[in-house]
Formats: sequence, structure tokens, C-alpha cells
Amino acid sequence: MSETTDKLINALRGAVNEVMGTMAWCEAIAAGEKVVNSLILDDEVGGMIHVGGDVSAMVGISCNKRIAAELCSRIVGLPAEELNDEDLLDGVAELANMICGAMKSKAAVGHLDLSSPAAIVGQQFQAQWKTLHKTHILAFELEGERFCVHLSA
Amino acid sequence: MKLLTVDDSRTIRRVISGVGAMMGYEVLEAEHGMAALELLEERADEVGLILLDWNMPGMNGLEVLQAVKKDARWQHIPVMMVTTEGEKDYIIRAIQAGACHYMTKPFSQEDMAARIMEAMGMGM
Repeated sequence: MSETTDKLINALRGAVNEVMGTMAWCEAIAAGEKVVNSLILDDEVGGMIHVGGDVSAMVGISCNKRIAAELCSRIVGLPAEELNDEDLLDGVAELANMICGAMKSKAAVGHLDLSSPAAIVGQQFQAQWKTLHKTHILAFELEGERFCVHLSA
Repeated sequence: MKLLTVDDSRTIRRVISGVGAMMGYEVLEAEHGMAALELLEERADEVGLILLDWNMPGMNGLEVLQAVKKDARWQHIPVMMVTTEGEKDYIIRAIQAGACHYMTKPFSQEDMAARIMEAMGMGM
């Protein structure tokens, strides 16, 4: 693992905690990490952001729809059942955006440009990012559910 | 006096509207820079503070800030940047362009309320 990737992963660990704690008042508990060959998001809800500039990378988040709705509900202060799919898409995109923004600030690895976030909400989906590099998956437990952050850099 | 939040994320506009409402302010919303400028054309006299995102489709936040500060009708309105961009270079550019405050996402509601008070000249 390169020094830059190491810095980005460390920054991501802190970024997830900061965003969840500040915006959703919940604690993200580290629940394991692994390295796989490709970035594949295959939960019901996902968000992706491309990182450009001094580093080329893709960051993804994935979780089930229940925890995504719960997080979005906490952030905007509305009951989860009042949120429609458009609210969820916007909320997940903003979560991905804030996590990557916080990662960028914490990592301090030169100038990074973040793309606009893409979010997917649905019964089943699979999104793939093809890369020559490995993908690091950081799993967190939130309210008893799994929330994953994927970094391919 | 009203607040104007300019952000392409409905989630963030809702959060800021919630904080504003808690403080007793009505919050106007614009989902991008052009919509914000159109709203100012009609209702600038009601706006006491603009909370402005940086990365948005069309005009970015810096371009919106420059347009606001260039227009004699609007240049007195304080502008606070509210953005995920926390690099020093971005902060310097925003302050040089006339922003009075700079806040990075994520933010707590308490911090946002305190910064709004400062920006409205009611600092604690």
C-alpha cells in the first residue's frame, strides 16, 4: 500500500466518524477492513465520488436502505417514513460528499478535486469501478447495521 | 430579515432551514447560483445573510459570491461559505472575494447557529 493510499484510508476512518457524529449524532464503530480486487458496490444504497488532481481514486459508500433512511432522517430532522427516494438519493449523495470532503481535509496529500457525487437507491444494484489497484473496504457498524466505505486509489 | 441558503443539496438546505427556523429566521432556498441571483433580483431587501455552497452545477459558489459583491444593490449582504472544501487556498479566495465567514461541512447545528449569529452581527 502506498503512503498516499495509507493517508487516504486513515483520513477516511476519521471522516466517517466525524460526519456520522456531527450530522447524524451516531457513532460509527469500526467493524473490520479488507482488500479486494475491484470496487464493487452491491448493497441497496450506494454513493460514488471520483477523486482527481494529485491523486486518482474512487470512493464509494454502501449500506442497506433502512440505515440510509435512518441516517438521512437524523440529518434533516424528519421521520424516516416521510423521506421519499429523491430525499434518500440526495441524502446519500451528500453523505458521500461530506465523507470525501472530510477525507480530503484530513489526508493532506496535495490538491484533490472531487466530482459531484452519484447516488443509487433501489432493490438491487451493482456498481463497479475498474482499476489496476486494489480496493480497500472499511466496514462500520451503525445502529447495529453495516455501513461500508470503499476506496480504490 | 431572512436567510438565503444556496446549495444543490436539498438535504443541506433542509438542515440550514431547520437551524434558521430554530433561531426564528425564515429561510429562503436556492438550488443553484442562477436561482440565487434571480431570487436576489426580487427579494434582496429581505435577505440578511447568504449561506453559499462552493461546488454546484452551473455557477460555482465563488462566481456567485463575486456576482453578489460586484452588484451595488447586494454587496452589503454578508455571505458565509458553507462547503466541503476546507483547503486554505479556497478559504483565502473566498475571503478575498468578500465572504465574511467560512464554514466546512460537516457542521453541528450548534456551530451553524453560532456562526449565523456572528455573521448577522450578534456574535457571542
